Amino acid sequence: MLKFSYCNATDLNQALVQCRFAGSFGPLSSRRRSPRAAVSCSRSNLTPIQAVLSCQQQVGSDPVESELGSLADRLRLGGLTEDGLSYKEKFIIRCYEVGINKTATIETIANLLQEVGGNHAQSVGFSRDGFATSPTMRKLHLIWVTARMHIEVYKYPAWSDVIEIETWCQNEGRIGTRRDWILKDVATGEVIGRATSKWVMMNEDTRRLQKVSDDVKEEYLVFCPREPRLAFPEENNKSLKKISKLEDPVQYSRLGLMPRRADLDMNQHVNNVTYIGWVLESMPEEIIDTHELQTITLDYRRECQRDDVVDSLTGPELVEGSKIHGTNGSATAITREDDLDCHQFLHLLRLSSDGQEINRGRTEWRKKPT
Amino acid sequence: MVATAATSSFFPITSSPDSIDSKNKKLGNGSTNLGGIKLKPSASSGSLQVKANAQAPPKINGTTVVMTPVEGFPSEDAASSLPPRTFINQLPDWSMLLAAMTTIFLAAEKQWMMLDWKPKRPDMLIDPFGIGRIVQDGLVFRQNFSIRSYEIGADRTASIETLMNHLQETAINHCKSAGLLGDGFGATPGMCRKNLIWVVTRMQVVVDRYPTWGDVVQVDTWVSASGKNGMRRDWLVSNSKTGEILTRASSVWVMMNKLTRRLSKIPEEVRGEIEPHFMNSDPVVAEDNRKLVKLDDSTAQYVRKGLTPRWSDLDVNQHVNNVKYVGWILESTPLGIVESHELCSMTLEYRRECGRDSVLQSLTAVSGVGNLGNMGEIECQHLLQLEEGSEIVRGRTQWRPKNAKSFGKMDQVPAQSA
Repeated sequence: MLKFSYCNATDLNQALVQCRFAGSFGPLSSRRRSPRAAVSCSRSNLTPIQAVLSCQQQVGSDPVESELGSLADRLRLGGLTEDGLSYKEKFIIRCYEVGINKTATIETIANLLQEVGGNHAQSVGFSRDGFATSPTMRKLHLIWVTARMHIEVYKYPAWSDVIEIETWCQNEGRIGTRRDWILKDVATGEVIGRATSKWVMMNEDTRRLQKVSDDVKEEYLVFCPREPRLAFPEENNKSLKKISKLEDPVQYSRLGLMPRRADLDMNQHVNNVTYIGWVLESMPEEIIDTHELQTITLDYRRECQRDDVVDSLTGPELVEGSKIHGTNGSATAITREDDLDCHQFLHLLRLSSDGQEINRGRTEWRKKPT
Repeated sequence: MVATAATSSFFPITSSPDSIDSKNKKLGNGSTNLGGIKLKPSASSGSLQVKANAQAPPKINGTTVVMTPVEGFPSEDAASSLPPRTFINQLPDWSMLLAAMTTIFLAAEKQWMMLDWKPKRPDMLIDPFGIGRIVQDGLVFRQNFSIRSYEIGADRTASIETLMNHLQETAINHCKSAGLLGDGFGATPGMCRKNLIWVVTRMQVVVDRYPTWGDVVQVDTWVSASGKNGMRRDWLVSNSKTGEILTRASSVWVMMNKLTRRLSKIPEEVRGEIEPHFMNSDPVVAEDNRKLVKLDDSTAQYVRKGLTPRWSDLDVNQHVNNVKYVGWILESTPLGIVESHELCSMTLEYRRECGRDSVLQSLTAVSGVGNLGNMGEIECQHLLQLEEGSEIVRGRTQWRPKNAKSFGKMDQVPAQSA
């Protein structure tokens, strides 16, 4: 799968060919401009943001000529917003993306978040590897890797619903960057979900983390909002919550999970969305049958490859000071005082062979709407 | 929902009883339909009459646009004269005919675009969402899909599972927009009353070229009778921009009582519901009648055990989605073949469903190398079964070396070892 794949230089050219600005027209360009020119557009004497905006406006005002733009761009129904600082795209939920609840699965949602993140990167001229490897990063063999992913879904879309996802990215600390998303139901306009993710920079050869140098920062920060804009602006929100490590003995487990061919990206690493599926594999069936996933937070620790075998472990999250709520004589979860139908769990994925942690997670579940 | 509003606008075409009943079942009248252009040599004075506007919706920049109901796209057709039924003929010179028609179509499209182009913001386009619409006398359903980044495989082309997901989506959407959806699965209201469901027994897929990320594919699907009590669903997948045929597929369905699990004849009232929607064309894929052998541990060279469904593999009935079987079949196909070859043809026989608690094993045997005079082609036999023995799917796949093009332009490849 083309996810978090570490592209080489030829891929950048290919990605730029598909760039929205490749077919654009206006004072800075001629009809069939070379792919490279799209990036240089942002290095002209205009400030980068102004250049981006002027290209964008040309696309909008000269539509007949835009036949030369890629057909997929026309149909992609996504584009940078007017200020150029975020990207929006619409998606229709297809029937095979819907699960046992007749609503989109969390994996579908996660796939769409990644799709729109990649399309955002591509639309500003960066390569499609899940976030954006800027030209300098590729020269230095630097890539982004996901450190944390946090998704909250308030209302799951059903088959043939159309949702709009807006995404943007920002600096985060010295070694990180974040990408945020807001999901809306196009028909009602209501926000149906939010997500945020934290990424760190790694050298793809040494696999060591690296600080975000200033010239790399400059390259991509022009496309990020200047003022901090958070999908989760509220204080002490759950996306910041530390996840404790689940200790043995665990209550629920599913052992011996193996990657399928379709789970692997071009570099034979398991893609991030597969981990979500694995985490849910060890959820007790009585919760899956009666509840839907409201929140999932995953901390990614270690990559997983084709021949790895993984154990998925789940246990209730113990909250200090709450009562233990017994069901059928066994403690399934701690209920929060204010929400009796909510269950919280901790998760751990580790290698079967030596117990090394791959990632840890936290989920919250609410009763299914009737 | 936006989607429902758009699909409801299609009912005027299909539910008008006069237009459906008066269609003549003219077999082989020589007219061929592609991309909404109807060539009717008999209807006009012997010349090819290209009606670009009757069937093909206006295109913007090569994009097929469905006008909103306000602009009255569907009602144009219902009001115009009833065109005779046309059929997709599998002519020997199909590729030439295709090329000629594509040229005509693109020319007409360009003309149309100039006449009626209106600037539209992307969020006003409806069909590119992929809702799809009925075309061609109300018998063919067409839907576009853009290939998303998570749908492609390691070689940057759409995976066979992605293609089959699209086929499944158009099948369901066809039933929905033709008013045939009593439940979520293409069972008509009459079938629901009698506890009958459609069950797929056989599927054949031929891939001439895989779409890549960013391509937009157009999927056409229609149904025909299959014998007395079966139904055949055909699909034609083409590159939305160039019209090149990418994939052809054909599936056979039988009716089963969902309570007794016994096969059933088609009751008269259900026949009345579905027959108006039958196209009764020739199959789009020539039927491969060769028997599929059942592999076992001694005849299979490759076995992958311990395959278990994940939550996301299950459909709303908690059965494993049919398309997932294909992924499992490929799990035991040797990596050497998968990496150097691409799947060009697949025949599947569905035997049994499986659910959440099933544990499966996938067996593969390489049954032929260099078949059919094509250097480098490999043929495999497959079996997907529960570990306790029950068969789920039998299959046969054919693989051609990657980068070998179809339509006779085979590259020279060194002989592949099996």
